[in-house]
Amino acid sequence: MHDQLILFLEALLKQTGLQELWWGNLVMIAVGCAMIYLATAKHFEPYLLIGIGFACIVTNVPGSDLIKQGGLFHYAYQGVNLLILPPLIFLGVGAMTDFGPMIANPRLVILGAGAHLGIFVALIGAKLWGFSIQEAGATGIIGGADGPMAIFVTVTLAPHLLPQISVAAYSYMALMPLIQPPVMRLLTTKEERLIRMEQPRQVSQLEKIAFPIVIAVIVNLFLPPVAPLITMLAFGNLLKEVGAVERLSRTAANGIMNVVTIALTVAIGSTMSADTFLTVKTLQIVFLGLVAFVFGTASGVLTAKIMNLFLTKKINPLIGSAGIASVPIAARVSAVVAQQEDKRNYLIYQAMGPNLAGVFGTAISGGIMLALLRAG
Amino acid sequence: MLVPDTLEGAVLLSVIDFFLSFVVIAAIGLVLAAFPWLDRIAQPGVKDSIEE
Repeated sequence: MHDQLILFLEALLKQTGLQELWWGNLVMIAVGCAMIYLATAKHFEPYLLIGIGFACIVTNVPGSDLIKQGGLFHYAYQGVNLLILPPLIFLGVGAMTDFGPMIANPRLVILGAGAHLGIFVALIGAKLWGFSIQEAGATGIIGGADGPMAIFVTVTLAPHLLPQISVAAYSYMALMPLIQPPVMRLLTTKEERLIRMEQPRQVSQLEKIAFPIVIAVIVNLFLPPVAPLITMLAFGNLLKEVGAVERLSRTAANGIMNVVTIALTVAIGSTMSADTFLTVKTLQIVFLGLVAFVFGTASGVLTAKIMNLFLTKKINPLIGSAGIASVPIAARVSAVVAQQEDKRNYLIYQAMGPNLAGVFGTAISGGIMLALLRAG
Repeated sequence: MLVPDTLEGAVLLSVIDFFLSFVVIAAIGLVLAAFPWLDRIAQPGVKDSIEE
């Protein structure tokens, strides 16, 4: 009887995860708790960090069935792995976005390309550090400051780096108000920061309806690797702009967006197991992500300054950094820095132009990268 | 995969990608510059925003 009792207790112990628990799990559980703390106490990207943090905690409890084949988190990850969730996120983004500022000022779209030098600086840096070229490409795309695009490119090129790259991308996007302003001030003179820009023209509803249709055709024709993302962005935007399907537009912007956000964040968190996350490569990716953002900010500002050499109506170079995507955070940073110099200089609408163009800039950079780097 | 997995490959990819992104986005800008004509086509009797 005594032996049987010991046997039963041993069997019970074996089916728990206690025997597989190691210090790495405890570190990652602490990381998950820190994310939840930042989200709730500091309001630091709560819609992302709550889900990622919780799933990170559960993933690092050995024995959890949720992450195993057949578990709910496993199926959530399939939504990412099969590239279903990122396009649905873009459907919601499109349904919430007004592309008027970009349509109104076409010359500013160049900044959406100019602010992406950081992608390639990080890519080359990663290669110097011994990453494979696919890993380097996935790391570089952090500099595009576009979460769904970073996930999309990483799942295709280097899926084993998804947790590090997605956490780095979303974290740096939230830290933009800290990262960008010093770079912007370093590269501009006070006179340049005081430049006032005229208000852009009004954009008609017809133009706003034509825009997503035209973009969908262009992207499917010339950039098929990223067409799923941009097509859904265009579709969401079309639902919003036609004005005849408000219920669908609201569903895309709210219901679908919320459900997909929950699934996506849980999926990302479920990949943050200690053995894959606590590596030197994670630190390298975190560092390269910062480098990408700094160089992207700098290149956006410098592109605006170069454009000013040829323009009679000058651009305030502070809006150049908004070309890094991350709508609308980067545009807000440009507007805030301008207002710190001159309280009556309102640049938010002008900054939204390159900010929105940056989404397409990241898509173009990512699309070309995927076309050239996809195996087979 | 068209790009070699070397440092030279990474530099080549970066230069091509960066340059082409300017080309493609400039083309999008040119298309957007033509958008005011949509209003003229849709409503030929009304002064359009090209003249602003």
